[in-house]
Amino acid sequence: MRTRAEAERLAIDTGILVNLGFYVSISIIFAILALGFNLQWGYTGLFNAGIAGFFLIGAYTAAIAITPPTPPSTGYPGHLGGFQLPLAVGALLAMAMSGLAAALVALPTVRLRADYLAIATLAFAEVVRTVAINLEPVTAGTIGIVGIPHILNFSGPNAAFLNTATDVGVGAAILVGLFLGLHFIVESPWGRVLRAVREDEEATMAVGKNTFRYKLQVFAIGGALMGLAGWLFALTLLYIEPSGSFAPAITFSVWVMVIVGGAGNLRGAIAGAFVIYGLEWLSVQLKDAAPDFLKDSIPYIRLMIVGVLLIILIIYRPQGILREKKRVLR
Amino acid sequence: MAIPSESDSSTGTRVPHRLWELLHFTPRARRKLVRGALVTIIFLAFNGVLAVLFGVTILNYTIAGLSVSSIVIVAAIGLTLVYGMRGFANFAYGDIMSLGAYVALLVNINGLSLIWGAILSFVVLALVGILLELIVFSRLEGRGAVPPIVASVGVGLIIQNGIRTIATTTPWIYRVEAIQEIPIVPGLGVHPIRHILTPAVGLLFVLVTHILLTYTNLGKAMRATADNFELAKATGIDTKRVTYATWAVSCAFASTAGILLGLYGLLKPTMGFEVLLLIFAAVIVGGIGSPWGAVLGGLVIGLSQEMSAPVFAWLAGPDVIGLVNASAYKVAIPFIVMIAVLILRPWGIAGRAPAFTGRVFFIERIAKALGRRRKPTGPLEDESGG
Repeated sequence: MRTRAEAERLAIDTGILVNLGFYVSISIIFAILALGFNLQWGYTGLFNAGIAGFFLIGAYTAAIAITPPTPPSTGYPGHLGGFQLPLAVGALLAMAMSGLAAALVALPTVRLRADYLAIATLAFAEVVRTVAINLEPVTAGTIGIVGIPHILNFSGPNAAFLNTATDVGVGAAILVGLFLGLHFIVESPWGRVLRAVREDEEATMAVGKNTFRYKLQVFAIGGALMGLAGWLFALTLLYIEPSGSFAPAITFSVWVMVIVGGAGNLRGAIAGAFVIYGLEWLSVQLKDAAPDFLKDSIPYIRLMIVGVLLIILIIYRPQGILREKKRVLR
Repeated sequence: MAIPSESDSSTGTRVPHRLWELLHFTPRARRKLVRGALVTIIFLAFNGVLAVLFGVTILNYTIAGLSVSSIVIVAAIGLTLVYGMRGFANFAYGDIMSLGAYVALLVNINGLSLIWGAILSFVVLALVGILLELIVFSRLEGRGAVPPIVASVGVGLIIQNGIRTIATTTPWIYRVEAIQEIPIVPGLGVHPIRHILTPAVGLLFVLVTHILLTYTNLGKAMRATADNFELAKATGIDTKRVTYATWAVSCAFASTAGILLGLYGLLKPTMGFEVLLLIFAAVIVGGIGSPWGAVLGGLVIGLSQEMSAPVFAWLAGPDVIGLVNASAYKVAIPFIVMIAVLILRPWGIAGRAPAFTGRVFFIERIAKALGRRRKPTGPLEDESGG
């Protein structure tokens, strides 16, 4: 997720604390994405290849809902908006839109083999990104949506620090809440059905569960979590643009996070997000120290490492570093 | 006439001795041919109507559609072969296409003709395919559909970013002579590379695939392995060798598709990934694992995408809805066609319906949408009397 905005931010905020806070808040966003994907794939076996698309829908819905009206100026086409809704309403709208989109994509494909769902979601994410790039009256095109407010708007000499601290605090509170809520959900009878669907769908049908409905529900909930991550992303970066931040590489990074952490393991998904985004953050920090011939290709080398990790982990450690707890029937 | 036809039955494989035997179709094939001819005639008539209504220039979109279709068909045949045999979607396929295009570029910028580049790239990519199966995908056999998808994304990331590191992100262009369009009538012309060479190569690859799969032992073994792996193994087919051969053919086809794509526009590291959706849509529309389906799907996808362009251009008009950047939305059309096929006919337009789920799939859904319930079957649930 190396966007121009991030680069600018890193250039402006020299304080080490602000920089670290930025790392933590982006890691939290990735952790929420990983939790959503983990619910879909790790617990239910629904493989989502369009995480970036649901993330984008959440971010744009939130940004359009909460931004103040932007006066059209030269060079900025303006976007749909000016609603200035409260932040919480923005979050709810983002979750609703992403969840709805996830349910719509899942409806025709979730009944078929896993690869159809993967193809349809990947295609969906690319179509959504194309629309975001081109539907200028709504999304302001490649320039993106600017002027997203801070969660609490501080001013003064310590504004940067205080704003980052708020981002981290709000993100951490959401993450803890989600962790507890999801823990409760996956340990409930409902969550047990999800694992049953993953292990043997036909046997689950045979005991009278409507697996199609469960799969649809879980895909929509996972999509809604990704929408929530998008809302937080918009509030943290204050600026969203469709080209870099919502590229398919985001989806692939989330896969690595969940596979590293262990599919079907909530703590693992969060740990994976912090570790893998940590590598990315470090590669950005080390850019200045790198020799000249490497400088420009660092992001590409990082993505190649992600690719190698995906292959090696899926071949040798498909359960991840932290495995799912073995459950024994008593 | 002089050759006795009895000699056929003595050998295992049937060798056609006369031209007539090649044309002696089974009733099923004949029905398909008649249907194909009908669709072609309707399509031509449709284009005729378009030309009369909107002028001849509208046929430019049809020509562009056929050209895009040819690229998609070559790629989709290669993708569907491996898809049918190994049962997973190769997400690296687009990046393998880019790799093929860049290998040809490497030969081309060193002063050789692009034809030599294409031949070398064909061979190199066949080897790459064998290596991929050897190093990565053979280890994931029997693990379901998702682990190979994840691994293929890893392969794609390595290839795409390897290209970015080595060849930089600046677009390249093949060194070929600049050729002018040949005008047919004012406003309608054909480009020798885009509109003649590309469809010709596409047609050639379709014919080669047909001959390979129908008349050679390797092709028959490939079809048998894709149809039923265990049975093919039990029959004595060396399924391992066949799998390697399929990977080689698949990636070699990808190289040619990539070069055609590079000739169509510029060479970029993401060029292949950008058309991956198109190719998957063609494969799914045609029915996974069916090469002839891939041809049909490629035609449907390529033509529908390009021929939707004038509709979007019309939507861009200020008195319609004034859509900005209207031409960019045509990439959504393959996705919509794919979703429609997944709802109505998930096994594809050329695929065979699964024996058990059959047609119930859609009819059941309509019944549900109309709010009707299936008749209760058990005596305990029978409340219809009340």
